[in-house]
Amino acid sequence: MKQPKPPGNGYQWRIRMNVLRLFLWNGAWVAATALMTFGPRFFWNRTLLFTLLAVSLDVAVGVGMILANIKYIAELDELQRKVQLDSMGITLGVALIAGTPLSVMDAYHVIPFHVDIAYLLILMSLTFAISNLYGTRRFR
Amino acid sequence: MKNRLKVLRAERDWTQAQLAGALDVSRQTVNAIETGKFDPSLSLAFRAARLFGMRIEEIFHDEDRPSLATEKDTYV
Repeated sequence: MKQPKPPGNGYQWRIRMNVLRLFLWNGAWVAATALMTFGPRFFWNRTLLFTLLAVSLDVAVGVGMILANIKYIAELDELQRKVQLDSMGITLGVALIAGTPLSVMDAYHVIPFHVDIAYLLILMSLTFAISNLYGTRRFR
Repeated sequence: MKNRLKVLRAERDWTQAQLAGALDVSRQTVNAIETGKFDPSLSLAFRAARLFGMRIEEIFHDEDRPSLATEKDTYV
């Protein structure tokens, strides 16, 4: 005989909302960072006050993004949280292992190009995405 | 750690998604526990025990030892 369905409490819905919130905060941070980067040159002709305001906005939105991320991770279930934690650990390790030698090689002109912080951000993003995908597949 | 989650779920004709909803976790987590890829925390094990109206050791047991439910069957 078919048993009555157990009561659910919307875990999936809650996580979906948190992902949406995180996505919006990330988008806002990217926009604020773009404004801070390109604003002085293209919009306000390097006026100090506006540049400081743009930097303040970028930091404030960045704090909001971090808080959204904390909320997202706190409301994940224990397996999802483990996957996130593993991915963060791998990302931090790769950033340290790759970042330090690269900056040293740049300082001593071992490599023919200048190491930009953007390279490290791209490397971190790719590492996090790959390790997260691997972690999700591992427990599928 | 082994468990009888899949059997208990099948007895009630619940899907993994329904069980996941009742335990407030993702379907992926239920699947990982059922297949033995992930060991749940004590609090999640308690939630499962409450949901099925059983004791934790009747659902989860050590790899080397049979579950309490199996032991009971053996001794009866």
